[in-house]
Amino acid sequence: MVMRQDASTGEMVEAPDDGSEQKAADPKKPIMSVKVYAPFQVYFEGDAYSVTAANETGPFDILPRHHNFICMLVPCNLVIKTPYEEKVVKISRALMHVKAERVVVFVDV
Amino acid sequence: MKRPLEIAAEELSMKTIVSLTSAFESLSSMKITQTKTRVLISNEFFKEVWTIYKQIRMDVMFNFGRSVDEVPIDKELMLLITAPGGLTGDIDQRLIRKFREHYDPEKNDIIVIGHHGALQLEQLKIKYNLYFDIPKKDYINVDPLMKEIKKYKASRVFYQDYVSLSEQVIKELDLGEVVNTMGKIADIDELDGDVITEKTYIFEPNAYSVVMHLESSILRLMLAQFIYDSRLAQLASRFKAMTAAKERSLETQQDLHVAFSRAKRALVDVRLKESLAGLKKIRAGRD
Repeated sequence: MVMRQDASTGEMVEAPDDGSEQKAADPKKPIMSVKVYAPFQVYFEGDAYSVTAANETGPFDILPRHHNFICMLVPCNLVIKTPYEEKVVKISRALMHVKAERVVVFVDV
Repeated sequence: MKRPLEIAAEELSMKTIVSLTSAFESLSSMKITQTKTRVLISNEFFKEVWTIYKQIRMDVMFNFGRSVDEVPIDKELMLLITAPGGLTGDIDQRLIRKFREHYDPEKNDIIVIGHHGALQLEQLKIKYNLYFDIPKKDYINVDPLMKEIKKYKASRVFYQDYVSLSEQVIKELDLGEVVNTMGKIADIDELDGDVITEKTYIFEPNAYSVVMHLESSILRLMLAQFIYDSRLAQLASRFKAMTAAKERSLETQQDLHVAFSRAKRALVDVRLKESLAGLKKIRAGRD
């Protein structure tokens, strides 16, 4: 149940749960740090539960505790699941580097 | 001596020049701030990619992503990165001067990036082989440039480098040498954590494909970095030129204002003298 303070009376009232409130991160779920950027623009930087992309072999997911990994991405939608939202970045070519709970996607490489 | 009205008109036009140069100065300053932030992001980006490339490089010699059977043109390609337009101070002239120190029509071919450089070469009656315009957008597609570079045995780039707001230097570098120096196979002791090898990493589709792709990517990135650096240096040079022009026009405006006051006073003095002379004459007539 979500509570909010009524602006006119000052009382605490029950607020409808319309999903507009930002979800809290699940502390039990392992996270990793993700950065997606091009030479002039940072598309995403923050924590995420998973990253989905595609390379020549096919689509794949990167989860926390993934083995060190380097690959060339093919044109795809890079999906980053964060504790708060699902971020999608369209990619034409990129290099992905995964090392020690850190995923870096170099766009336009 | 000029008449006050003429000087006033000159002062007015000088005021317009002061406003114009001030506007250009502010615009350059704003653009420098924007570009500098972007260049900082790009520097971090390039540094990270270089670190990966250094660790997985296999060949000591950089061959511009050419296959073994491709025979390159036995000439050195000269790549000049200049400003897209004028009003950038003397930065392009300095670049052309440096280029001419090395240029030999028998041994070199030329590619110019930026309209201002192309114009300067035309004025000097130096023929260039290709010309590319600099896009206004952030993303620069350097693929057509890479296609040309790959054809040549060696390539030398002349570009402008930003040191500070007051200092921009002209640099000339051999592309092959730069890749070899910057991408010198990493010293394992200098690296933190796992070194990138086939034992410690998973490569997809395979290590060779990634290395081959990075070989051409690194050249693409390097060219883009030179263009970004030049862009920042050109903006700084424009800012410097506009500041100097503003100061000069302000000084001229002040000088004109003094000249105007003097001319006006001189005119009043003449009128006064004439009136006094007239009065004297009238008095003399009465007596």
